Amino acid sequence: MSVIKIAMIGSGAGGLITSSKLVAQLSEEIKQEKVSITIFDKKETQEFQPGYLEVAFRGTRPAKLKRPAENLVPRGVNVVHANCASLDIDNHQIITEKNQEKYDFDYVVVSTGCSPDYSQIPGLKEANLDFYTDADVSSRIFSTLETVKSGRIVVGIAGLPYKCPPSPNEAAFMADEYLRRHERRKNVDITFITPYTRIYTAEPINEVIEPLYSERNIESRTVFNTDSVDPAKKEITSLEGETLKYDYLFLTPPHKPAEFLKGTDFSDDEGWVKVDKKDLHITDHDYAFAIGDTNNIPTSKAGVEAHLEGIVVANNIATNISGSGSKHFFTGRTQCSMETGFHHATFVVGTYDRPVEKIKPSIMNYTEKKVMEEIYWASLHGHYEWLFKYHFKKDYFSEGTS
Amino acid sequence: MTTYNIDSKGTACPGPITDLIRAYRKASNGDIIILQATDPGVVPDAKAWCGMTKNELVNTKENGTEYEVTIKVTAKK
Repeated sequence: MSVIKIAMIGSGAGGLITSSKLVAQLSEEIKQEKVSITIFDKKETQEFQPGYLEVAFRGTRPAKLKRPAENLVPRGVNVVHANCASLDIDNHQIITEKNQEKYDFDYVVVSTGCSPDYSQIPGLKEANLDFYTDADVSSRIFSTLETVKSGRIVVGIAGLPYKCPPSPNEAAFMADEYLRRHERRKNVDITFITPYTRIYTAEPINEVIEPLYSERNIESRTVFNTDSVDPAKKEITSLEGETLKYDYLFLTPPHKPAEFLKGTDFSDDEGWVKVDKKDLHITDHDYAFAIGDTNNIPTSKAGVEAHLEGIVVANNIATNISGSGSKHFFTGRTQCSMETGFHHATFVVGTYDRPVEKIKPSIMNYTEKKVMEEIYWASLHGHYEWLFKYHFKKDYFSEGTS
Repeated sequence: MTTYNIDSKGTACPGPITDLIRAYRKASNGDIIILQATDPGVVPDAKAWCGMTKNELVNTKENGTEYEVTIKVTAKK
């Protein structure tokens, strides 16, 4: 009997949790060499991406967020240290960037995330410091913030889509907190810009945070569609021709999927992978899946989505191979934390069928966020699945029926 | 003149308005954006967006659980 080969493209949160769950559910088959799992990724270090805000606005050392990738890969999983150059789903084949090597598979899971795309907005890259690229780039914001005594900081959303929907608002709150704690807020303006009609797109959360913007004296400019940035004049111009001056720019750039996905028949015109929003299989291929930031489902681009989707997909692959268990369907559950400063946080919680809830910021929510950060690395090994099931009340998947 | 047909059916807020903003970035003055959605919030959201950006709301249609909003891009510099 030939070995059933499962390919994981990407070793971020989605790739690791999917692999862990597969190893747990298919341990016997792996031991008997009936199943093999291989991760494709050239990254040697993984970073805790939600921690970029802490690096940028609280001065956490970038090293604290980094872990060697080899320590995170579950035992029993093979690693090919190369990125995917092309994926041919019809012919069950991956070609890697390194030496154009070919690998075949029976199942494939694409979990390649997304990254800032500065090419969409002229001048933005030269002018901006972001907390999305990596931990080291994020630390440049803190180095800058330490020197700020006056002027205008502009934060907010420069383009869509982007990952971690609450993070631009968190940047506003955390910059405000830093400057107040250091008694430098009086001479510094903070302006939040967004292309949406509200400070936060979902009305229930907007109702929660809009009063905080007034209370903290954070100015907001809604329906501001950033067109270009002039680093010499320190000026942002909108698509409608409005201009906004800045002294310090910490904007959220639009994001893009991995290059190899663009132009494929299974992605949309920007390269986001088209999947069924409930079982996450790619278009017509029931053996190919895409999870996390890289797919086009209407949920947040956030680590928690990759995590929950990974659990669902791993279960379905394992069930299919072992012939036992029931199929799971993702409900679109989201659970994004939003820090509102001074040890308070709210959560953006909803599903495909349940609108976002109105949750007031509290110290308890902040504590919960911090606990999740502490257990993050271990959770990628599947160690805290019981906690996820308890916490999410199992409403991130439905069983048996769609 | 280009017509952008945007299918946001099955997505809830902020899906349709996100899709509208992404299409708007690609469009030029005179282009038409036709946004289809199943989220009833799309109509008030698109009206508010047109009012605030000064783009033209051409019409809105409702067919049972489906909504269609037609916008003419007029506000770009």
